[in-house]
Amino acid sequence: MTNLARRARVGRQAVAGWLFVAPFTVLLVFFLLLPMLYAAKLSLYRSTLVEGEVFAWLDNYRQALGDPEFRRGVVRVLVFGAVQTPVMIGIALVAALLIDAATSRFSRVFRLAAFVPYAVPVVIGTLMWGFLYSPNTGPLSSVIDVDFLSSGTVLYSLGNIVTWQWAGYNMIVLYAALQGVPREVYESARMDGAGAVQTALRIKTPMISAAIVLVTIFTIIGTLQFFTEPLILQPLNPGAITNSYTPNVYAYHQAFSYQQYNYSAAISFLLGVVVFVGSYIFLFVTRKRSALR
Amino acid sequence: MSVRHLSVERRPYRPRRPIRFVLTAVLTAAALVAAGCGGGDDSEEPSGPVKIKVWAWYPAFQGVVDLFNRTHTDVQIEWENAGAGQDQYTKLQTALKAGKGAPDVAMLEFQELPTFQLTKHLVDMGKYGANDIKGNYVDWAWKQVTNGESVYAIPVDAGPMAMLYREDIFQKYNLTVPKTWAEYKEVAQKLKTASPGSFIADFGANDGGFMTGLMWQAGARPFEYTAAQSPNVGVRLNNDPAKKVMAYWEDMVDSGLADTVAYGTTDQYSGLGSGKYATYIAAGWGPGYLASVAKTTSGKWRAAPIPQWDAGENAQGDWGGSSFAVTDQTKYPEQATKVAMEIFGANKDAWKIGIDEAFLFPTATPILEWDYFLTKEYEFFGGQKVNEVFVPAYNGIGEFQWSPFNSYYFNQLSTNLNQAIEKKTSWTAALDTAQQNITTYASQQGFKVAS
Repeated sequence: MTNLARRARVGRQAVAGWLFVAPFTVLLVFFLLLPMLYAAKLSLYRSTLVEGEVFAWLDNYRQALGDPEFRRGVVRVLVFGAVQTPVMIGIALVAALLIDAATSRFSRVFRLAAFVPYAVPVVIGTLMWGFLYSPNTGPLSSVIDVDFLSSGTVLYSLGNIVTWQWAGYNMIVLYAALQGVPREVYESARMDGAGAVQTALRIKTPMISAAIVLVTIFTIIGTLQFFTEPLILQPLNPGAITNSYTPNVYAYHQAFSYQQYNYSAAISFLLGVVVFVGSYIFLFVTRKRSALR
Repeated sequence: MSVRHLSVERRPYRPRRPIRFVLTAVLTAAALVAAGCGGGDDSEEPSGPVKIKVWAWYPAFQGVVDLFNRTHTDVQIEWENAGAGQDQYTKLQTALKAGKGAPDVAMLEFQELPTFQLTKHLVDMGKYGANDIKGNYVDWAWKQVTNGESVYAIPVDAGPMAMLYREDIFQKYNLTVPKTWAEYKEVAQKLKTASPGSFIADFGANDGGFMTGLMWQAGARPFEYTAAQSPNVGVRLNNDPAKKVMAYWEDMVDSGLADTVAYGTTDQYSGLGSGKYATYIAAGWGPGYLASVAKTTSGKWRAAPIPQWDAGENAQGDWGGSSFAVTDQTKYPEQATKVAMEIFGANKDAWKIGIDEAFLFPTATPILEWDYFLTKEYEFFGGQKVNEVFVPAYNGIGEFQWSPFNSYYFNQLSTNLNQAIEKKTSWTAALDTAQQNITTYASQQGFKVAS
């Protein structure tokens, strides 16, 4: 083969490669990178109703860092994530281990049933829970005398919705990872005298630690960006779920209730920093177990 | 938590449909790009009738649109419901800021007009003959939509306030229709004693328009602002009349006489339908709203004048009411003005639909004085001629000015009151907080604030 022909083939391959990644690249550039650049530009300006738009350097960021409502929102999602993540991942892991151990028809039915909430759109699921929680029309209020939507309880109620929605999904991911573990490992564990519980705790769980880290990181990112559920439940008790309940809700209201697009962009970027740092810390702490180094 | 995309980490378990996915993605991307960049440039001379796009959320509006299109050959309306109230404003603000995507004509409530006017996105219809119909409107209504000779909107309906009450409940517990707010409280106590699960009313602290209407009636004027005096704005949200209103309702809620379920929620509808709430302090459009959310109670409601702070007075407030404005994105300002002026205008055929099917309360004097409107017996109110209550209320509405940052005002008002209700802190202090925040915000926005 001549040098020229080889180069032509490499060229053709490169074109084919580009064609294959083109759809993704187009979507990435047009729907992620360009909007992000635009938002970055927005965040450096300040527009006022009277004077219009002026370049403001980092004023919006300075204001956001000193904004008590924004800070309270960040602390709220951090606390929420710290409680929500282990609970949900724990439930997902236990469920995945259980259906992995059982091979009956029940396990297949259970797998599907646990996954169904994920198939329900977030908005619909949240509306449904909103009806269930409602003190006047909801069935729960006739069973126990708790106002699920008061400021003291609503964060738990939201946590419940998120767990309901995502535990099954995470379970499927972990279950899929468990399927990938070579069966011989279990066999040798059994030969060494490990029972079912010990196999689950000492063999299976460590073997899928990479998958656990993965779902945890996605859950952390998800909880820091907590948005849809509080926004949908907000009308039911606006006193408990305020306009600055989570950083994303705050950014939304800044943009679309107050027309503060610039400040909203700055908040979004700061939240991005929080998410990035949070994820990085988690990956760093778990670096020995993670496949995402 | 936002929706996220994740490929399962172990490759063998991936669904094997990459080709179809890629195709879909390419097609979607192509379609979106085309939609985003294409846009189309139809600046050529229109052939046939001019099409005017209208955003509005009036009930039974299709009939009004059909009527207009039947009776006009040069202009045709393309109507779209882009959401009610704040939903539509959000879309409209975004479209106006983006420079494309806004309709030619949009329904705007009175309180939003200064906001949209300030951003200079409304066409001055005075240039296209809108001043000709000035005589059709009472002074306060015309002032809401104009700045001198500049006309920024054409008034459609108004929201004079009245007390709607359940006659069956009042009879059952032998309650008398209250004439003052003091009597209203006595009636509430009597009702509570007789039926502990009931409330005299629900106080929707999430509804800025409702609370402003109540404060308006008490004589509060939270803002001093006209387009001519911009950027000077007066903010006096926490003055005595406003505090009187909030202290009254705080006491009503604290004593368990009034409920605090948010307006516009299923909980509120079910309360109105089940008789849990014996009265509903409503606006002129309230009967239509009530008829749609509490259908089963048809015939049981009656209307009475809103209770007064001082016996024998005739103080009134307004809650809502709307107009049609022309946006700066229209290519046909003249035809758009015509649409805004004539959709409802003082056209009796259009208003017949508005009155019968949408329960709108008209602002055009010829309609207000029309016998059909004045003497109409409403089935939902057991045959009562409710406009005998609402028309005098309308005539008693005094002048009122809105701020050029109404969304922020409504948000602050409801946020702080909801917080006060939730944390059981003082409602008048909530007004102070709102006052402070609004003052800060207004200064940040470049206004010169006087309080």
